[in-house]
Amino acid sequence: MPALLAVGGALLPLAYLALAIDYGATFFLRRRTGGLTPPLFAVVVLHLGYLVLRGLEAGHAPVTGTPEVLSVLALATAVVYAWVEAASGDRRTGVFVLLLAFLFQYAASFLTALNAGSPPAGPHAGGLWGALHVLSALVAYTALAFAGVYGALYLAARRDLRRHRFGVLFDRLPPLETLGPMAWHALLTGFAAMTLAIAVTPLMFGEGGGEFSAKIVSKIVTGSVAWGVCASAVLGRWLGRWHHVRTSAVAVVGFLLVMALLAVSGALS
Amino acid sequence: MPELIVIATSHHTAPVAVRETLALAPEQALALLRGIHADRAYGEALVLSTCNRTEFYVVPLPDGPRDLRADLLARLGRAKDTAPPDPDPAIFTRREDREAVRHLFRVAASLESQIVGESEILGQVKDAYRLAVEARTTAFLLNRLLHRALGVGKRVRTETALEEGSAGVPQAAVELAEHIFAGLAAKTVLLVGAGRTAESSARTLLARGAGRLIVANRTLERARQLARDLGQAERPCGEAGAAEEEDSPLPSSPFGLRRTSPQRDRSTPEGAKAATEAVGLDALPGAVARADLVITSTGATEPVLTREALGQVLSRRTRPIMIVDIAVPRDAEPDLGRLESVYLYDLDDLDCLVQRNLERRRREIPKAEAIVEDEVRQFECWLASRQVAPTIRLLKRRLRSIQRRQIEQYGSRFTGTDQDELEAFSEAMCKRVMHHPIALLKHLATDGATSERLATVDLVRRLFDLDALEEDDETDEEDPTSRARQ
Repeated sequence: MPALLAVGGALLPLAYLALAIDYGATFFLRRRTGGLTPPLFAVVVLHLGYLVLRGLEAGHAPVTGTPEVLSVLALATAVVYAWVEAASGDRRTGVFVLLLAFLFQYAASFLTALNAGSPPAGPHAGGLWGALHVLSALVAYTALAFAGVYGALYLAARRDLRRHRFGVLFDRLPPLETLGPMAWHALLTGFAAMTLAIAVTPLMFGEGGGEFSAKIVSKIVTGSVAWGVCASAVLGRWLGRWHHVRTSAVAVVGFLLVMALLAVSGALS
Repeated sequence: MPELIVIATSHHTAPVAVRETLALAPEQALALLRGIHADRAYGEALVLSTCNRTEFYVVPLPDGPRDLRADLLARLGRAKDTAPPDPDPAIFTRREDREAVRHLFRVAASLESQIVGESEILGQVKDAYRLAVEARTTAFLLNRLLHRALGVGKRVRTETALEEGSAGVPQAAVELAEHIFAGLAAKTVLLVGAGRTAESSARTLLARGAGRLIVANRTLERARQLARDLGQAERPCGEAGAAEEEDSPLPSSPFGLRRTSPQRDRSTPEGAKAATEAVGLDALPGAVARADLVITSTGATEPVLTREALGQVLSRRTRPIMIVDIAVPRDAEPDLGRLESVYLYDLDDLDCLVQRNLERRRREIPKAEAIVEDEVRQFECWLASRQVAPTIRLLKRRLRSIQRRQIEQYGSRFTGTDQDELEAFSEAMCKRVMHHPIALLKHLATDGATSERLATVDLVRRLFDLDALEEDDETDEEDPTSRARQ
């Protein structure tokens, strides 16, 4: 089993990189195919198998410790993107999202290799509330990552259109009216999921799913910032009638901030 | 005698003043072809007539007209009920066989078009073929040739980027709109003024499915007239029934996704008309507030769309609005472009996009030409295989191989001189069987019409499965070891 996991850990980042290159070819060479592509589906299945094996080996859900969380984030990113691609029939934005999945999985595999032999860190997410908390938080971070990526694409495409620059982004990205709502709805999803994650946190502690430490505090800070980012964009749009440009800018800044805080949180653990 | 001849004039050889006297309406082209069919002057014939070219593709007969150019132009004169044009070889060029095939393939690929990569020519070739079929002036050669030409046109469009991007100001406005809006179905187009380019842009947007049109003009009556005219325009793919949404045009879903390709978003039947409205210039702010795309082209010397007049309307807005200013001097204050929801483009911006697209198309020309050459080579190979001499050779081989197989099967039942008799009998039998088909093929090779010869050769090849025999030969040539094994 450990050998199989080691092979899987080495193989997954390469698989995501290959996917990103394939989608990059779609973007840069303007190759167009509709629907879910079999290689993406294959990588998702491979990743799912890898996480199941990790869970079997550890004896609990693979959501403890930074490497496992990062790996689940990579899988969540790929799964959500696969759904987006199947629904929209447009794979032009895949390269950006799958590069993110590659980075998550690369970091996960790297940290796993680095910590090989040492006992798994962090609290066990064994209870119902703990599992719900971790799952909803991961969905929220994935949604925020999506919002960040699509927000950045929206801002870049918008800037080119307003400055009358008809370059690569003009040619290859979906229209603004598609990109803007993509970022906005990802933010909405992130807001709902993070609200749930925060709401069940006291219940999780109540069932003994965690105890206060520097790492937990950093996670609470990160989660609060993520929630604050999503909430400000949602309220700004609902109450202040914000343009997509503002919600997208908030999504990008929020995503970068949360990534930085996640890195700090990882370093603390 | 050549098998295929094209007599052609186009924008390359004749000015528009000449071309407009040569252009044939479909019913005139049909009458001309019916005349050819009635006279039996040519084996096969097809006329391709557009605003930029008039071309005759004919398969000549041995006893047909001597001067094809003069004969065809006389027929053109009769069809148009005018004096026949002067058959000047500098205007009406002549190409034969391989060159004629290449020319048609280049035309279908839009490599010969005034704007390389334009999409209409393939439909025009298809229409010309339909007319020829209706007049019954196509047979074996032109049927095959036209099917291949249409295939070449499609291949060039799918394998190269020759057709991508807009090549005119109206199309550039649509291209820009399609990069801002997810679809044009629920969009309202406001046309300010009545300039021809602006009108053409509005027409193109409506043809792409824009849902509503408001025409604003200094003279309300003129605005009403224009709204009526544009509202009557047939739309290939109407989308007027789609619901208008305030900010997000996408239906609710966790990620707000839908299939955004306008080609796939067909909610109303073909031929649907756009809803139209006419207003005076005094109602312009209200019209701008309702519009998604504004195309402006007035003859005013001062800006008509000013920040002072529209700033309040546009700054409150969260939906994007695209303003295309085609007027010179400009109708829209450049300052409007600073508003968050405004995407402002003037004539220079559109021209910049057009030039960029044309340059990109020019870079695709070598790829398209390579496809044309490949197809010409394939067509030539096919045509060569339909010649008499190789067909007779293959026919003899086929019958001899049948003879050999039968002797191998039944020869053991005979001994001594009986076996020699069997071989002599089977050989005589084969010669008898081959005699008439070969005599007919030889006769057609010297005296027959091209179409009849090609059709007969094709029939013989299919009856005796000679193409398979030829393919086996080619395989053997490619793989010498297989021959050694045999």
